[in-house]
Amino acid sequence: MKNSQLYKGSLNTIIMKLLEENGRMYGYEITQKVKEITKGELNITEGALYPALHKLEAEDLLDVEVEKVDNRLRKYYKLTEKGTKETVNRLTELEEFIKNMQSIVNPKLSY
Amino acid sequence: MKLTQTQIEKLYQFTRQHYVEWYDLQTELVDHLANAIENQLQQNPKLSFEETLQIEFKKFGVFGFMDVVEKRQRALRKQYNKLVWSYFKDFFSIPKIIGTASAFIFLVVLMLKFQFANIVIITLFMISVIIFFIGMIKLSRKNKKQNKISGKKWLYKDIIYSFGTFGGLSYLPIQIALQLYDKINFFNLIPSILISATVISVFLFNYILLFIIPSKAEHYLKKTYPEYELANSL
Repeated sequence: MKNSQLYKGSLNTIIMKLLEENGRMYGYEITQKVKEITKGELNITEGALYPALHKLEAEDLLDVEVEKVDNRLRKYYKLTEKGTKETVNRLTELEEFIKNMQSIVNPKLSY
Repeated sequence: MKLTQTQIEKLYQFTRQHYVEWYDLQTELVDHLANAIENQLQQNPKLSFEETLQIEFKKFGVFGFMDVVEKRQRALRKQYNKLVWSYFKDFFSIPKIIGTASAFIFLVVLMLKFQFANIVIITLFMISVIIFFIGMIKLSRKNKKQNKISGKKWLYKDIIYSFGTFGGLSYLPIQIALQLYDKINFFNLIPSILISATVISVFLFNYILLFIIPSKAEHYLKKTYPEYELANSL
Protein backbone atom coordinates (compact mmCIF):
# COMPACT_ATOMS: atom_id res chain seq x y z
CA MET A 1 0.00 0.00 0.00
CA LYS A 2 1.29 3.41 -0.91
CA ASN A 3 2.11 5.47 2.21
CA SER A 4 0.61 2.63 4.17
CA GLN A 5 1.00 4.32 7.54
CA LEU A 6 -1.26 7.16 6.46
CA TYR A 7 -3.99 4.89 5.13
CA LYS A 8 -3.85 2.30 7.88
CA GLY A 9 -6.28 3.96 10.26
CA SER A 10 -8.86 4.42 7.52
CA LEU A 11 -8.91 0.87 6.18
CA ASN A 12 -12.01 -0.15 8.14
CA THR A 13 -13.86 2.94 7.01
CA ILE A 14 -12.87 2.30 3.39
CA ILE A 15 -14.21 -1.26 3.60
CA MET A 16 -17.46 -0.15 5.20
CA LYS A 17 -17.99 2.60 2.66
CA LEU A 18 -17.48 0.14 -0.22
CA LEU A 19 -19.93 -2.32 1.30
CA GLU A 20 -22.45 0.44 1.81
CA GLU A 21 -22.27 1.26 -1.89
CA ASN A 22 -22.02 -2.23 -3.32
CA GLY A 23 -24.10 -4.36 -0.97
CA ARG A 24 -22.18 -7.56 -0.51
CA MET A 25 -18.58 -8.12 -1.64
CA TYR A 26 -15.88 -10.76 -1.27
CA GLY A 27 -12.28 -10.14 -0.25
CA TYR A 28 -10.60 -10.14 -3.63
CA GLU A 29 -13.36 -7.96 -5.07
CA ILE A 30 -12.67 -5.32 -2.41
CA THR A 31 -8.95 -5.13 -3.25
CA GLN A 32 -9.76 -4.80 -6.95
CA LYS A 33 -12.44 -2.19 -6.38
CA VAL A 34 -10.09 0.02 -4.37
CA LYS A 35 -7.45 -0.30 -7.04
CA GLU A 36 -9.99 0.62 -9.71
CA ILE A 37 -11.40 3.65 -7.88
CA THR A 38 -7.97 5.06 -7.04
CA LYS A 39 -6.60 4.14 -10.48
CA GLY A 40 -3.97 1.88 -8.93
CA GLU A 41 -2.77 4.50 -6.46
CA LEU A 42 -4.06 2.67 -3.42
CA ASN A 43 -3.39 -1.04 -3.06
CA ILE A 44 -4.91 -2.82 -0.07
CA THR A 45 -2.65 -5.70 0.91
CA GLU A 46 -4.10 -9.13 1.54
CA GLY A 47 -2.35 -9.26 4.90
CA ALA A 48 -4.27 -6.18 6.04
CA LEU A 49 -7.64 -6.75 4.38
CA TYR A 50 -8.66 -10.08 5.92
CA PRO A 51 -7.72 -9.19 9.50
CA ALA A 52 -9.76 -5.99 9.09
CA LEU A 53 -12.76 -7.90 7.72
CA HIS A 54 -12.57 -10.48 10.51
CA LYS A 55 -12.36 -7.80 13.14
CA LEU A 56 -15.39 -5.97 11.78
CA GLU A 57 -17.24 -9.28 11.65
CA ALA A 58 -16.39 -10.04 15.30
CA GLU A 59 -17.70 -6.59 16.22
CA ASP A 60 -21.05 -7.48 14.61
CA LEU A 61 -20.61 -4.73 12.03
CA LEU A 62 -20.41 -7.21 9.17
CA ASP A 63 -22.34 -10.34 8.37
CA VAL A 64 -21.21 -13.17 6.09
CA GLU A 65 -22.79 -15.27 3.37
CA VAL A 66 -21.23 -18.20 1.58
CA GLU A 67 -22.00 -19.43 -1.90
CA LYS A 68 -20.59 -21.98 -4.23
CA VAL A 69 -19.07 -20.22 -7.27
CA ASP A 70 -16.90 -21.88 -9.96
CA ASN A 71 -15.92 -25.07 -8.08
CA ARG A 72 -15.24 -23.24 -4.86
CA LEU A 73 -16.88 -21.61 -1.86
CA ARG A 74 -16.97 -17.84 -1.79
CA LYS A 75 -17.45 -15.79 1.36
CA TYR A 76 -19.33 -12.52 0.95
CA TYR A 77 -19.35 -9.72 3.47
CA LYS A 78 -22.17 -7.24 3.99
CA LEU A 79 -23.02 -4.58 6.54
CA THR A 80 -25.28 -5.46 9.43
CA GLU A 81 -27.84 -2.96 10.66
CA LYS A 82 -25.37 -1.89 13.34
CA GLY A 83 -22.69 -1.70 10.65
CA THR A 84 -24.78 0.60 8.46
CA LYS A 85 -25.28 3.01 11.34
CA GLU A 86 -21.62 2.84 12.27
CA THR A 87 -20.57 3.59 8.68
CA VAL A 88 -22.28 6.97 8.87
CA ASN A 89 -20.39 7.80 12.08
CA ARG A 90 -17.06 6.68 10.74
CA LEU A 91 -17.46 8.57 7.48
CA THR A 92 -18.28 11.75 9.35
CA GLU A 93 -15.22 11.17 11.49
CA LEU A 94 -13.04 10.60 8.45
CA GLU A 95 -14.35 13.72 6.70
CA GLU A 96 -13.65 15.72 9.81
CA PHE A 97 -10.13 14.30 9.84
CA ILE A 98 -9.55 15.17 6.19
CA LYS A 99 -10.80 18.71 6.82
CA ASN A 100 -8.45 19.14 9.77
CA MET A 101 -5.53 17.76 7.85
CA GLN A 102 -6.29 20.14 5.02
CA SER A 103 -6.29 23.16 7.28
CA ILE A 104 -2.93 22.07 8.69
CA VAL A 105 -1.29 21.18 5.40
CA ASN A 106 -2.81 23.93 3.35
CA PRO A 107 -4.10 26.70 5.66
CA LYS A 108 -5.19 29.03 2.84
CA LEU A 109 -7.72 26.56 1.48
CA SER A 110 -9.51 26.15 4.73
CA TYR A 111 -11.35 29.46 4.48
CA MET B 1 -10.20 -19.10 -17.77
CA LYS B 2 -11.66 -20.59 -14.62
CA LEU B 3 -9.58 -22.87 -12.40
CA THR B 4 -10.42 -26.56 -12.36
CA GLN B 5 -11.47 -28.63 -9.37
CA THR B 6 -7.99 -30.21 -9.25
CA GLN B 7 -6.33 -26.81 -9.18
CA ILE B 8 -8.65 -25.69 -6.37
CA GLU B 9 -7.69 -28.84 -4.46
CA LYS B 10 -4.03 -27.90 -5.03
CA LEU B 11 -4.70 -24.49 -3.51
CA TYR B 12 -6.22 -26.12 -0.42
CA GLN B 13 -3.07 -28.23 -0.17
CA PHE B 14 -0.95 -25.13 -0.57
CA THR B 15 -2.67 -23.37 2.35
CA ARG B 16 -2.22 -26.48 4.50
CA GLN B 17 1.48 -26.56 3.65
CA HIS B 18 1.67 -22.97 4.79
CA TYR B 19 0.29 -23.71 8.25
CA VAL B 20 -3.36 -22.88 7.77
CA GLU B 21 -4.97 -25.76 9.66
CA TRP B 22 -8.55 -24.60 9.61
CA TYR B 23 -10.96 -25.22 6.79
CA ASP B 24 -12.81 -21.91 7.23
CA LEU B 25 -9.64 -19.91 6.72
CA GLN B 26 -8.38 -22.21 3.98
CA THR B 27 -11.60 -21.67 2.05
CA GLU B 28 -11.40 -17.91 2.19
CA LEU B 29 -7.73 -17.90 1.16
CA VAL B 30 -8.32 -20.44 -1.62
CA ASP B 31 -11.03 -18.28 -3.17
CA HIS B 32 -8.80 -15.23 -2.90
CA LEU B 33 -5.81 -16.98 -4.51
CA ALA B 34 -8.04 -18.49 -7.18
CA ASN B 35 -9.46 -15.10 -8.17
CA ALA B 36 -6.02 -13.55 -8.22
CA ILE B 37 -4.54 -16.40 -10.27
CA GLU B 38 -7.38 -16.30 -12.80
CA ASN B 39 -6.82 -12.59 -13.17
CA GLN B 40 -3.05 -13.01 -13.61
CA LEU B 41 -3.48 -15.79 -16.16
CA GLN B 42 -5.80 -13.62 -18.18
CA GLN B 43 -3.24 -10.82 -18.33
CA ASN B 44 -0.18 -13.06 -18.79
CA PRO B 45 -1.37 -16.23 -20.52
CA LYS B 46 2.23 -17.47 -20.80
CA LEU B 47 2.60 -17.96 -17.07
CA SER B 48 1.89 -21.35 -15.50
CA PHE B 49 -0.52 -22.01 -12.65
CA GLU B 50 2.39 -22.64 -10.25
CA GLU B 51 4.18 -19.44 -11.22
CA THR B 52 1.13 -17.26 -10.73
CA LEU B 53 0.46 -18.94 -7.38
CA GLN B 54 3.95 -17.97 -6.20
CA ILE B 55 3.45 -14.39 -7.42
CA GLU B 56 0.16 -14.07 -5.57
CA PHE B 57 1.43 -15.73 -2.41
CA LYS B 58 4.30 -13.25 -2.25
CA LYS B 59 1.76 -10.46 -1.95
CA PHE B 60 0.88 -11.75 1.52
CA GLY B 61 4.33 -10.66 2.71
CA VAL B 62 7.22 -12.47 4.40
CA PHE B 63 5.03 -14.10 7.02
CA GLY B 64 2.68 -15.58 4.44
CA PHE B 65 -0.71 -16.45 5.87
CA MET B 66 0.50 -16.31 9.47
CA ASP B 67 -0.75 -12.82 10.11
CA VAL B 68 -4.20 -13.56 8.69
CA VAL B 69 -4.47 -16.71 10.84
CA GLU B 70 -3.31 -14.97 13.98
CA LYS B 71 -5.68 -12.03 13.63
CA ARG B 72 -8.56 -14.36 12.85
CA GLN B 73 -7.83 -16.29 16.04
CA ARG B 74 -7.84 -13.08 17.98
CA ALA B 75 -11.14 -11.94 16.48
CA LEU B 76 -12.87 -15.27 17.13
CA ARG B 77 -11.54 -15.49 20.68
CA LYS B 78 -13.01 -12.07 21.29
CA GLN B 79 -16.33 -13.26 19.88
CA TYR B 80 -16.19 -16.32 22.17
CA ASN B 81 -15.34 -14.27 25.26
CA LYS B 82 -18.28 -12.02 24.50
CA LEU B 83 -20.54 -15.05 24.33
CA VAL B 84 -19.27 -16.44 27.66
CA TRP B 85 -19.69 -13.06 29.26
CA SER B 86 -23.27 -12.71 28.04
CA TYR B 87 -24.16 -16.10 29.58
CA PHE B 88 -22.44 -15.10 32.81
CA LYS B 89 -24.44 -11.87 33.01
CA ASP B 90 -27.55 -13.92 32.37
CA PHE B 91 -27.11 -15.53 35.81
CA PHE B 92 -27.41 -12.09 37.36
CA SER B 93 -30.67 -11.12 35.75
CA ILE B 94 -34.21 -12.24 36.49
CA PRO B 95 -35.10 -15.10 36.91
CA LYS B 96 -31.71 -16.82 37.26
CA ILE B 97 -30.46 -14.32 39.82
CA ILE B 98 -32.75 -15.91 42.41
CA GLY B 99 -30.74 -19.14 42.22
CA THR B 100 -27.41 -17.34 42.09
CA ALA B 101 -28.27 -15.13 45.06
CA SER B 102 -29.59 -18.05 47.14
CA ALA B 103 -26.41 -20.06 46.58
CA PHE B 104 -24.36 -17.00 47.45
CA ILE B 105 -26.23 -16.27 50.69
CA PHE B 106 -26.09 -19.94 51.66
CA LEU B 107 -22.28 -19.95 51.27
CA VAL B 108 -21.81 -16.71 53.20
CA VAL B 109 -23.94 -17.97 56.10
CA LEU B 110 -22.14 -21.29 56.01
CA MET B 111 -18.77 -19.58 56.26
CA LEU B 112 -19.89 -17.36 59.11
CA LYS B 113 -21.55 -20.08 61.18
CA PHE B 114 -20.07 -23.46 60.35
CA GLN B 115 -16.85 -24.47 62.05
CA PHE B 116 -15.51 -26.58 59.21
CA ALA B 117 -16.52 -24.23 56.44
CA ASN B 118 -12.95 -23.99 55.18
CA ILE B 119 -12.94 -27.71 54.40
CA VAL B 120 -16.22 -27.36 52.53
CA ILE B 121 -14.92 -24.40 50.52
CA ILE B 122 -11.62 -26.05 49.62
CA THR B 123 -13.49 -29.22 48.62
CA LEU B 124 -15.75 -27.13 46.39
CA PHE B 125 -12.73 -25.56 44.68
CA MET B 126 -11.16 -28.97 44.17
CA ILE B 127 -14.38 -30.38 42.75
CA SER B 128 -14.57 -27.49 40.29
CA VAL B 129 -10.99 -28.18 39.17
CA ILE B 130 -11.68 -31.89 38.71
CA ILE B 131 -14.87 -31.21 36.75
CA PHE B 132 -12.96 -28.73 34.59
CA PHE B 133 -10.17 -31.13 33.68
CA ILE B 134 -12.45 -34.09 33.05
CA GLY B 135 -14.71 -31.90 30.91
CA MET B 136 -11.75 -30.45 29.02
CA ILE B 137 -10.38 -33.90 28.16
CA LYS B 138 -13.81 -35.22 27.15
CA LEU B 139 -14.61 -32.25 24.91
CA SER B 140 -11.19 -32.26 23.31
CA ARG B 141 -11.56 -35.96 22.47
CA LYS B 142 -15.01 -35.39 21.04
CA ASN B 143 -13.69 -32.57 18.88
CA LYS B 144 -10.76 -34.61 17.59
CA LYS B 145 -13.03 -37.52 16.74
CA GLN B 146 -15.43 -35.27 14.82
CA ASN B 147 -12.55 -33.62 12.97
CA LYS B 148 -11.21 -36.99 11.97
CA ILE B 149 -14.56 -38.08 10.55
CA SER B 150 -15.19 -34.86 8.61
CA GLY B 151 -11.53 -34.28 7.72
CA LYS B 152 -12.01 -30.58 8.47
CA LYS B 153 -11.00 -28.39 11.35
CA TRP B 154 -12.93 -25.24 12.19
CA LEU B 155 -11.23 -22.50 14.14
CA TYR B 156 -14.28 -21.41 16.15
CA LYS B 157 -15.01 -25.03 17.01
CA ASP B 158 -11.49 -25.48 18.34
CA ILE B 159 -11.94 -22.36 20.44
CA ILE B 160 -15.28 -23.55 21.84
CA TYR B 161 -13.83 -26.95 22.75
CA SER B 162 -10.69 -25.53 24.34
CA PHE B 163 -12.46 -22.56 26.02
CA GLY B 164 -10.47 -19.84 24.25
CA THR B 165 -8.53 -17.72 26.71
CA PHE B 166 -10.46 -19.15 29.66
CA GLY B 167 -8.53 -22.42 29.37
CA GLY B 168 -5.52 -20.67 30.85
CA LEU B 169 -7.49 -19.65 33.95
CA SER B 170 -8.04 -23.24 35.09
CA TYR B 171 -5.20 -23.07 37.60
CA LEU B 172 -6.88 -20.17 39.40
CA PRO B 173 -9.18 -22.19 41.70
CA ILE B 174 -6.21 -24.36 42.74
CA GLN B 175 -4.19 -21.28 43.62
CA ILE B 176 -7.05 -19.79 45.60
CA ALA B 177 -7.67 -23.03 47.49
CA LEU B 178 -3.98 -23.30 48.42
CA GLN B 179 -3.87 -19.69 49.55
CA LEU B 180 -7.03 -20.06 51.61
CA TYR B 181 -6.01 -23.13 53.46
CA ASP B 182 -4.76 -21.48 56.64
CA LYS B 183 -4.56 -17.78 55.96
CA ILE B 184 -8.08 -16.49 55.96
CA ASN B 185 -10.22 -15.95 59.00
CA PHE B 186 -13.45 -17.58 57.95
CA PHE B 187 -15.68 -15.96 60.49
CA ASN B 188 -15.37 -12.44 59.10
CA LEU B 189 -17.96 -11.00 56.81
CA ILE B 190 -15.77 -9.45 54.08
CA PRO B 191 -13.63 -12.54 53.36
CA SER B 192 -16.76 -14.69 53.45
CA ILE B 193 -18.42 -12.52 50.83
CA LEU B 194 -15.35 -12.45 48.59
CA ILE B 195 -14.74 -16.18 48.79
CA SER B 196 -18.40 -17.06 48.25
CA ALA B 197 -18.50 -14.81 45.19
CA THR B 198 -15.39 -16.52 43.83
CA VAL B 199 -16.80 -20.02 44.39
CA ILE B 200 -20.05 -19.08 42.67
CA SER B 201 -18.19 -17.50 39.72
CA VAL B 202 -15.91 -20.51 39.29
CA PHE B 203 -18.88 -22.88 39.16
CA LEU B 204 -20.80 -20.61 36.80
CA PHE B 205 -17.85 -20.42 34.41
CA ASN B 206 -17.45 -24.19 34.60
CA TYR B 207 -21.10 -24.64 33.75
CA ILE B 208 -21.01 -22.15 30.87
CA LEU B 209 -17.73 -23.33 29.32
CA LEU B 210 -18.24 -27.07 29.74
CA PHE B 211 -21.97 -27.52 29.35
CA ILE B 212 -24.00 -24.60 28.02
CA ILE B 213 -21.84 -23.48 25.09
CA PRO B 214 -20.72 -26.95 23.90
CA SER B 215 -24.35 -28.12 23.95
CA LYS B 216 -25.19 -25.27 21.57
CA ALA B 217 -21.95 -25.53 19.60
CA GLU B 218 -23.67 -26.51 16.34
CA HIS B 219 -25.90 -23.46 16.54
CA TYR B 220 -22.99 -21.07 17.04
CA LEU B 221 -20.92 -22.74 14.35
CA LYS B 222 -23.70 -22.44 11.80
CA LYS B 223 -24.10 -18.81 12.74
CA THR B 224 -20.39 -18.07 12.36
CA TYR B 225 -19.93 -20.25 9.29
CA PRO B 226 -22.75 -20.16 6.75
CA GLU B 227 -20.74 -22.81 4.88
CA TYR B 228 -20.65 -25.18 7.88
CA GLU B 229 -23.43 -27.51 6.77
CA LEU B 230 -22.62 -27.18 3.10
CA ALA B 231 -18.96 -28.08 3.66
CA ASN B 232 -19.65 -30.97 5.98
CA SER B 233 -21.92 -32.53 3.39
CA LEU B 234 -19.31 -32.27 0.62
